Amino acid sequence: MEIYRIKELSFAFPLQDKHALSGIDLAIGAGEFVAICGKSGCGKSTLLRHLKPILAPHGRLSGTIHYKGRPAAETDRRTQAADIGFVLQNPDNGIVTDKVWHELAFGLESLGYGQQTIRLRVAEMASFFGIQSWFRKPVNELSGGQKQLLNLASVMAMHPSVLILDEPTSQLDPISAVDFLETVSKINRELGTTVILTEHRLEEALPLADRLIVLDDGAVIADDSPRRAGAWLHGLGHPMFASMPSPMRIYAGVEAGADPAAPSPLTVKEGRQWLDRRMNGVAGGANAAIGRKRELIGESAAAQGKKPESMPSEAPPAAAEGSQSVSADGAEILPSEVPPSAAVAESRPASANDLAFADDNRMPAGAMSGNLPGSAPAADVPQSGAYPANPAINEATAREARKSAWRLLLDKPVAAPAAAPAVSFKDVWFKYDKNGPDAIKDLSFEVKKGEFYCLVGGNGTGKSTTLSLMSGLLRPYRGKVRIDGRNPAALGADELFANLLAVLPQNPQTLFVKKTVELDLHEIFDGARLTKEQKREKVEAAIRFAELEPLLGMHPYDLSGGEQQRAALAKVLLLEPSILLLDEPTKGLDGFFKAKLGEFLQKLNAGGVTIVMVSHDIEFCARYGETCAMFFDGGVIASKAAKPFFAGNGFYTTAANRMARHRWPDAVTAEDVIARCDDSR
Amino acid sequence: MRRTAFSSYHPIVNFTYFAAVLVFAMLFMHPVFQAVALVSALVNSVLLNGRRAVRFNLRFLLPLFVLMAVVNPAFSHAGVTILFYLRDGNPVTLESILYGIAASCAYATVIVWFSCYNAVMTSDKFIYLFGRIMPALSLILSMVLRFVPRYRQQVKAISDAQKCVGRDVTQGNPLRRARNGIRILSVMTTWALENAIETADAMKSRGYGLPNRTSFSIYRFDGRDRNAFAAMAGLIGVVLLGAAFGENGIRYFPSVHVKHASPFGVAVYAAYFMLCMLPAAIQIVEELKWKSIASKN
Repeated sequence: MEIYRIKELSFAFPLQDKHALSGIDLAIGAGEFVAICGKSGCGKSTLLRHLKPILAPHGRLSGTIHYKGRPAAETDRRTQAADIGFVLQNPDNGIVTDKVWHELAFGLESLGYGQQTIRLRVAEMASFFGIQSWFRKPVNELSGGQKQLLNLASVMAMHPSVLILDEPTSQLDPISAVDFLETVSKINRELGTTVILTEHRLEEALPLADRLIVLDDGAVIADDSPRRAGAWLHGLGHPMFASMPSPMRIYAGVEAGADPAAPSPLTVKEGRQWLDRRMNGVAGGANAAIGRKRELIGESAAAQGKKPESMPSEAPPAAAEGSQSVSADGAEILPSEVPPSAAVAESRPASANDLAFADDNRMPAGAMSGNLPGSAPAADVPQSGAYPANPAINEATAREARKSAWRLLLDKPVAAPAAAPAVSFKDVWFKYDKNGPDAIKDLSFEVKKGEFYCLVGGNGTGKSTTLSLMSGLLRPYRGKVRIDGRNPAALGADELFANLLAVLPQNPQTLFVKKTVELDLHEIFDGARLTKEQKREKVEAAIRFAELEPLLGMHPYDLSGGEQQRAALAKVLLLEPSILLLDEPTKGLDGFFKAKLGEFLQKLNAGGVTIVMVSHDIEFCARYGETCAMFFDGGVIASKAAKPFFAGNGFYTTAANRMARHRWPDAVTAEDVIARCDDSR
Repeated sequence: MRRTAFSSYHPIVNFTYFAAVLVFAMLFMHPVFQAVALVSALVNSVLLNGRRAVRFNLRFLLPLFVLMAVVNPAFSHAGVTILFYLRDGNPVTLESILYGIAASCAYATVIVWFSCYNAVMTSDKFIYLFGRIMPALSLILSMVLRFVPRYRQQVKAISDAQKCVGRDVTQGNPLRRARNGIRILSVMTTWALENAIETADAMKSRGYGLPNRTSFSIYRFDGRDRNAFAAMAGLIGVVLLGAAFGENGIRYFPSVHVKHASPFGVAVYAAYFMLCMLPAAIQIVEELKWKSIASKN
C-alpha cells in the first residue's frame, strides 16, 4: 500500500522567486524506512512539513500530495494528529508540559481519549521505550537523549501509521544519537510504522534505512537503496558524497570505476570484510616473498616513487609486503620502522595519489577554497593579523601539520615552542556544590601556543566545565588554572577577553543581539576606542574571513545552523583573540558546514591562534585537530597527537580506523585508508 | 522531599485536609484549639520535612512568635484588666497580651501548615485538581512550570556567552551594566519567541486545539482514599458542629471569656485533635505495619 504519492510538487516561499522545492515526484510505500539527505537549506525540512499539511509553510504550491490515496490537504485534523507523527529537530522545543507522564499523554488528551485508554497507552509506551524509571520526573531533569526519546514516545502513543523525523539527532551526543536511531529502527521493524527521516549522521542512519533520497536545491537527485544511491552520487561527483559513511567512501576511493554495480560496503563490518577480501586478493600472488618483507620496505617506497601509476595486476611483491608487514606486527609500530606509506608520501611529492591525498583533506568543501573571497585581498587589511588569509601559507601549514603528525607518530619530538603554555591546568579540582561530587578531579594538562587541542570524551565527564574554568566563569577550589601565565578568574573582562581569550558558546544564538548580521558584528565595538574607519576595516576583514557577504542583511536567527556558527565565530574573532575556546562547534552541522568550519579553524590556527575545542565529534577531531586528549571522570586520561591518539584507541576512534585498524592501525581518516590501499597495490 | 504516607493519597484528600486545617487554624481562637493546631502542625512538619523543619521552626518561627506577642500589647490598649502603664501613659492590658499571644500562635500555625502543604501538594497535584475545574488553566500552569526552569537555564547561557565578550551585568560601570542587562533580556526575548513557534508546531502537530480535549491524570481515587476521605469528613463535621454551638470560640475584649468545657466540647476538641493528627497517625500506622511485615519475612 502506498502511504504517500507526491506528484510534480513545487513550492516557493512568499516573496521569493526561487523554488524551495521543484518538481518532486515520490511514492512512499507502507512500512518503508526512508532516509532523506542533502545540504542544509536544500529543502529537506520544507518537504517533510508538506507531508503533514498542518505544519506546511505558507507559500506558492503546485503539484499534489496524496496521503493514503486522498489529497493530503483534505485529511482532517484529527487524522493528521493521530496518523502522521512528526518529531522536531530540537528536543527541548518539542516538549510542552512539565512532567514526563503528562507529556506522554498530551497527544491523547487532545484526541479526547478517556482516562482508561490513556492510562493503558501511556503504560505501553513507557514500557516499549524503557521510560519507566523516569516516568514521574520533571522534564527539565532529563538529558538531551532522554528528551528526544520522550518526544518520540509521545508521538508514538497516538499510534501513527507514518513517523516523520526532521534531523532528530542533530542536538544529541553520538551515543544517544545511535540509541535514538536504533529505537526508530525498532519501531519500523517491530511495528511496521513507515519512517521518513532526514539526517546528517549518515554513518549511523544509512545502514538502518531501506531507501535513500538525496535532495539538492529542492530537487531529487538520487532515490534508491543506500548503496546504489551512494554509488550514483559518487558517479555524479556530487559534494554530498563526502557525507556518506566512511566504508562507502573508502570503497569508492579505492575501487574507482572498478565495478559500479557491485554493492559497496555500508557498515564497518562490511567494510572490514571487503578490505580483507581485497587485500588477500592483492597479496595472494606474492606469498613467496613474505620472508623478505622488512628489508624490502625501503625499496617498496622507492619503487612506488618511480612508478606511481603501476597497475594493480602487476602488483609489485614488495608493495604487497608493505601491508603484510604491518598486519604481521599487529598493532605495534616500532619507532625505528618507517610505515611504508609515510615513506611513500615523502618520496614522491608530485604523484597523482599524493595530490588526491592533499586535496582530500578538504574535499567536502570542493572547489570552494579556490574562490575564497576572503583569501585574495589580505594585503588591503593592515590590521588583520589574526586572519591568516593567504592560501599558499595555508597549504604549507597544512602540509607541515601533516608532517609533524607523522613525526610524532614516529615518536620523534617536534621542536617545542619556547614560550609559556597558552593554557595550563595544574592539579585542578572543582565541584558545583559544597557537598556535591567533584566535576573536575586532579586535572593537569597544558596547551602549547599555536596548538589545535581537542578534548574528546563522553557526556558529563567535565569537558564543558573545563572550558568554563578556562574562561574564568568558574573558579577551582584547589589547583591552578593559567591562561598565558595569568589567572583567568582574577583578570578583569577587559584584560581577559581583549586580544587574549575568545569563547564560542555551544549555542551561537546566545551571542546575537542585533537585527542583522552586519549590525551584530559592529556591536562588538560598542564602547571601544576606535575610529569608524578602523571598526569598518576590522568588520570587513572578519566578514571576508568567515564568508558572510551574502548573509549580511539577514537576521541572525534566520541563518542555518552552520551559518550562525560562522557569524558567531566572526563576532568573537573581532576581539582578536590569541586563544579560541570552542564548545561542541560541530553540533547540528552537516558535513559540508563541518568541513568549512574545520577549514576556518585550521586557517586561524595556521595564523598563530591557539585553539582549544571540546567535542564529541571524533571524525572532525581526527581530521582537523592537532592534539587530542581523552577526557574521562573529571580528568584527562591520555593526550597525544591526533593520529596516534586515534590509532591507539580501539573503540573510541573513527569509523575508517575501526574498519582498517587490523591492517593499518595508524590509518585514521578515510583518506589515509585510501592512500594505504593504493600504496599496497 | 521525603516520601510520606499521606502524600501518597489522592490529591483531593490532600487538598481537603489542608483546606480544612488552614481555615480552622485561622478561625478558631479557642486556646485548646490553638494548642492542638500548633502542636500537630509542628509534629506533621517534622514528619514531612525532617531536620530542616526543626531548624526552620526554631530559627524563624520562634523569634517571629515572640516579636508578635510583644508588639501587640505595645500598640493595642483595649481590655479591662490593666497591668501597668507605659512611659507615654498608655496602659498595658492582660487582654491585649493574651490576644497577642493567640494571634501570633495562629499566625505561626498557618505558616507551619503551609510548609506541610508545600511538601505534600506538588505542582502536578495542584494542576490535576484545577484541571478538573478548568482544563485550559491546568495546561497553562503545566507549561509555565516547564518553561520557568528552561528560561532560567537559557538566561544563564546567554549571560555566560555575553560575559565572554565582556558584556555581562557584572562588568563595567553601572550604566554599562544596566545596558548589558537589557541586552541580555532582549536576546532572551528573541530566543523565547523564536523557540515558542516550534513548540506551537509541536502542539499543533499533536492535535492541540481539537474539540473535546480530555485531561489525564495518574491519580486514582481508591478504597484507601475513600476511607480517609470519609473519616476526614466525619471529623470536620463534628468540628463544624462544635463551631455552630459556640464551643470553638473565645472572646478577648473587653474581657476574656471562654465557654466552660462541656462533654460535647471535649468531644469536639478530640475530633479536632484527630483531624489535625491524621497525617501523622497514618504515617505511624504505616511504619508500624511495615516493620511488622519486614520482621515476619
